[in-house]
Amino acid sequence: MKAVVLAAGEGTRLRPFTVSRPKVMIPVGNRPILEYVVSALVDNGVRDIVLVVGYRKERIMSHFADGKKFGAKIAYAVQEKQLGTAHALTVAKRHLDGDFLVVAGDNLIDGRAIADLVGCRRVPAILVTKSETPSKYGVVQVENEKVVRIIEKPEAKIGNIISTGTYWLNKELLRTVEENVGRDMIGITQVLQSLIPMMALSAVHTTGRWIDAVYPWDLIGVNAAALTIRGQEIAGTVESGVTIKGNVSIGAGTRIRSGTYIEGPVTIGEGCDIGPSVTILPSTSVGDGVQIDSFSLVSNCLIMNNVDIGSHSHLSHSVLDDGVTISTGLAAPAGMAFAKVEDEFFKLERVGALIGEATEMGAGVVISPGSIVGSGCRIGSGVRVTGNLENKSVVV
Amino acid sequence: MCGIVGYSGSRQAVEVLIDALKRLEYRGYDSAGIAVCGKELQVHKDKGEIAGLEETLPMLKGTVGISHTRWATCGRPSKNNAHPFVDCRGKFALVHNGIIENHIALRKELQARGHKFTSETDTEVLVHLLEENFKGDTHEALLESLKKVKGTYAVAVIRLGSKEVVAARKENPLVIGLGVGENFVASDVTALLNYTNNVLYMMDGESAVITPGSVKLFNESGGRVEREPTLVSWTVEDAEKGGFDHFMLKEIFEGPSAIHNTLLGNLNEIVTGDSIIDSNFSSVKIIACGSSYHAAMVGKYLIETISSIPTTLEFASEYRYSSGAKEMPLVILVSQSGETADTLAAAREARRRGCQTLAITNVVGSTITREVDEVFYTHAGPEICVAATKTYITQLMALYVLGMRIGHSHGALSHDALRLLRSELRSMPQYVREVLENAAAIEEATDMIVNARDVFFIGRNINYPTVLEGALKLKEISYIHAEGYAAGELKHGPLALLNPDMPVVAVCIRDHTYEKMLANLTEVAARDSPVLAIGYDDDTELSSVANRVIGIPKVKPIFTPVLIAVTLQLLAYYTARRKGCPIDKPRNLAKSVTVE
Repeated sequence: MKAVVLAAGEGTRLRPFTVSRPKVMIPVGNRPILEYVVSALVDNGVRDIVLVVGYRKERIMSHFADGKKFGAKIAYAVQEKQLGTAHALTVAKRHLDGDFLVVAGDNLIDGRAIADLVGCRRVPAILVTKSETPSKYGVVQVENEKVVRIIEKPEAKIGNIISTGTYWLNKELLRTVEENVGRDMIGITQVLQSLIPMMALSAVHTTGRWIDAVYPWDLIGVNAAALTIRGQEIAGTVESGVTIKGNVSIGAGTRIRSGTYIEGPVTIGEGCDIGPSVTILPSTSVGDGVQIDSFSLVSNCLIMNNVDIGSHSHLSHSVLDDGVTISTGLAAPAGMAFAKVEDEFFKLERVGALIGEATEMGAGVVISPGSIVGSGCRIGSGVRVTGNLENKSVVV
Repeated sequence: MCGIVGYSGSRQAVEVLIDALKRLEYRGYDSAGIAVCGKELQVHKDKGEIAGLEETLPMLKGTVGISHTRWATCGRPSKNNAHPFVDCRGKFALVHNGIIENHIALRKELQARGHKFTSETDTEVLVHLLEENFKGDTHEALLESLKKVKGTYAVAVIRLGSKEVVAARKENPLVIGLGVGENFVASDVTALLNYTNNVLYMMDGESAVITPGSVKLFNESGGRVEREPTLVSWTVEDAEKGGFDHFMLKEIFEGPSAIHNTLLGNLNEIVTGDSIIDSNFSSVKIIACGSSYHAAMVGKYLIETISSIPTTLEFASEYRYSSGAKEMPLVILVSQSGETADTLAAAREARRRGCQTLAITNVVGSTITREVDEVFYTHAGPEICVAATKTYITQLMALYVLGMRIGHSHGALSHDALRLLRSELRSMPQYVREVLENAAAIEEATDMIVNARDVFFIGRNINYPTVLEGALKLKEISYIHAEGYAAGELKHGPLALLNPDMPVVAVCIRDHTYEKMLANLTEVAARDSPVLAIGYDDDTELSSVANRVIGIPKVKPIFTPVLIAVTLQLLAYYTARRKGCPIDKPRNLAKSVTVE
């Protein structure tokens, strides 16, 4: 069976982490979200995968190439403009025949969820799951395992079963979707909803993993969920006097210097230079080519590639995008915060700093909890940042 | 430079021979041919690409065969000059990569004895020699024939009525692929990866007899050789385009991960372990050809800057015939493929002169790795496009690492300075990503050069080689005439050529040459040539002297050649794409040049 994976979207609410990559390529547990989706499909024997790409497609193509490295056979369909999931499906048309799965590329999904859908053997079907925040999604009302109604982002509390954006469809439905594209129907869900009076749409409930990141701070939790390392896999060099506890992986060419304390689950990429005397606490992933200097503490953080953290820094519940450079002594503690995205405020119980790609900081910068610092910012020594900074801001 | 495939097994040989041959197309593509041995010996060959050959392919039945893709060196591209060649009686078919230097004399002798020649090639003498020397054993006959020739070769032969493929090599690569009930031989391991990743690298002077069930390896004097097979970790899929329009673009976008792989294991351990770099030498000589030579030029600047050790450069093809001064430099040889004939010869010459040798190459197990004292692998992964992109920047990475080690071990680079350089080098993948992020602006800038007949590239100091490389890239894939020039030399001649139809691409990095570059640009502007300047992205001054500016992230000047190289690669790519050129396989060029 084939699968179409929708990976064209930018993920604007996740800015600045989508400034130079599509949402599906945000790394969690040191692998792009999309890689988890591809693995989940491959684990279920679905190797023929069509990736619908658009925004920053080169990032996806240069990572996945033709898919052999991931046990899949990947073809690409380009959606030039992001006109919704229904349209995305139609651009993949020429690759499709018979039954096929449709999977969102930007949700962390595991093999069990895909197995539940494939196991139901009813086409068309939609995969649903329970959510604690149903108002962010399409809420699905189900009777006798059939969908009665789908309500997009309901304001009233009408249920907690939501659509995962994962479907099992066939060629005829694809034709219907195609006919409806352009008639104000931008989502696959909308098209299916309009067909409910005419046909039976099965709802398949899964207890498998399905996690979505909508806002930047969600990445901290998604990263933690993705850290499912078992035991210790250490390919790099660990000097004597390093303490490693719990499930930890350390990539090739990485050196962990003496006096460093690491408590898993933690994953550290390739070619990093950590320590001496650095503390890395649970649910942290550190990408490739990262340098963390002495007496710094990193806890529950998502650190991407080529980040340079100077000595005496404290980072908790924070996300650092590629190439962030900290001279020395950054304080980014976790705390309660009112964070703002697209003019909307969110009360967060515990969050640190959210810092965009290639931002550079001088010595002794303090970032208050929940601040979103854009990409390419220059922050001078001794600055205290509260609230958000636009991309390429210069603060002295 | 040509590509060879041989097969002996149980399936129809045609499919294997054609498929594997396509993966060697980068080695040449002006003519191609195939010979299959079944009930009879059938040969089909023609001028043009392999795809063309495939279209006109008749039914060739048989489970043993050879195929060849050619890049003409002796005899123009034509059907008659295409390989394989067959002897007068139609018993043998032979393919060859290399040059037979004494072919004219041999041809006269053979013609005098009644042999009929059908081509202008040097190769054809081999098949007639084989015919004369055959006394029942193809392998013996081949060894006997090769004794008479001077030159270089990788050859594969089949004989009517035999399941054997007999192969031999001298200074041209051959690798044997081991299958189950079938075995292969090819010029390059990429040809075989669809079938097996279990391979035997043939050494110089060795020959082999391959049948469906056995592979026998022999040394130069005909004695048996036993060797453990090597498992290759590359896969064919590494060589597929994966959504990109061209291999070149794919390979440019692979730059960040290629750099990461080059640095991996080399950066943290930069001053540990034994290396000939720590030995006593008073100078360094870097030897290379083509793009690798431009990388070597950057190497010269940086080794001299970092370590103050005098560094000289030489083209491999010149060094090997030079008389050699009384010096014992550390010799660094740069070859992407590790098979470049001139560079291999230079390595041998350097060792003959008693120098210590170090090779920078991308291909594990390539010939050069066995010719030198120490190897630095760039680990950039396979590069299919003829124009070097990611392999060029990874060669620079290798030279940075080596230069830093030379500087450190010779006391010119302090521990602290080393730490600083190392820290910035570690971030290079990120900086290259930022350049790639700017691709749209670079594509737009092609407006300035796409319609030009000639383009000048100017730069100074460590970016002088970069502009040479930028001009080379533009020439080879877009067919626009381009010249790289040291900016200071402009007024010693080329300024006379400048006019409003001739754009100038100028590299202006804020280093000690910056003011001089601005002065040069003013000279250019005075001749109304449009200027495309490349400088740091925070440089606001440039827009006053240039018509258009492309910014690169602000790294230390010493590291700018990497980022500018990527910028110029993209500029060449988008220009060629707008002109509709065959980007991955430019006319008359081949990837690694194994002829001299």
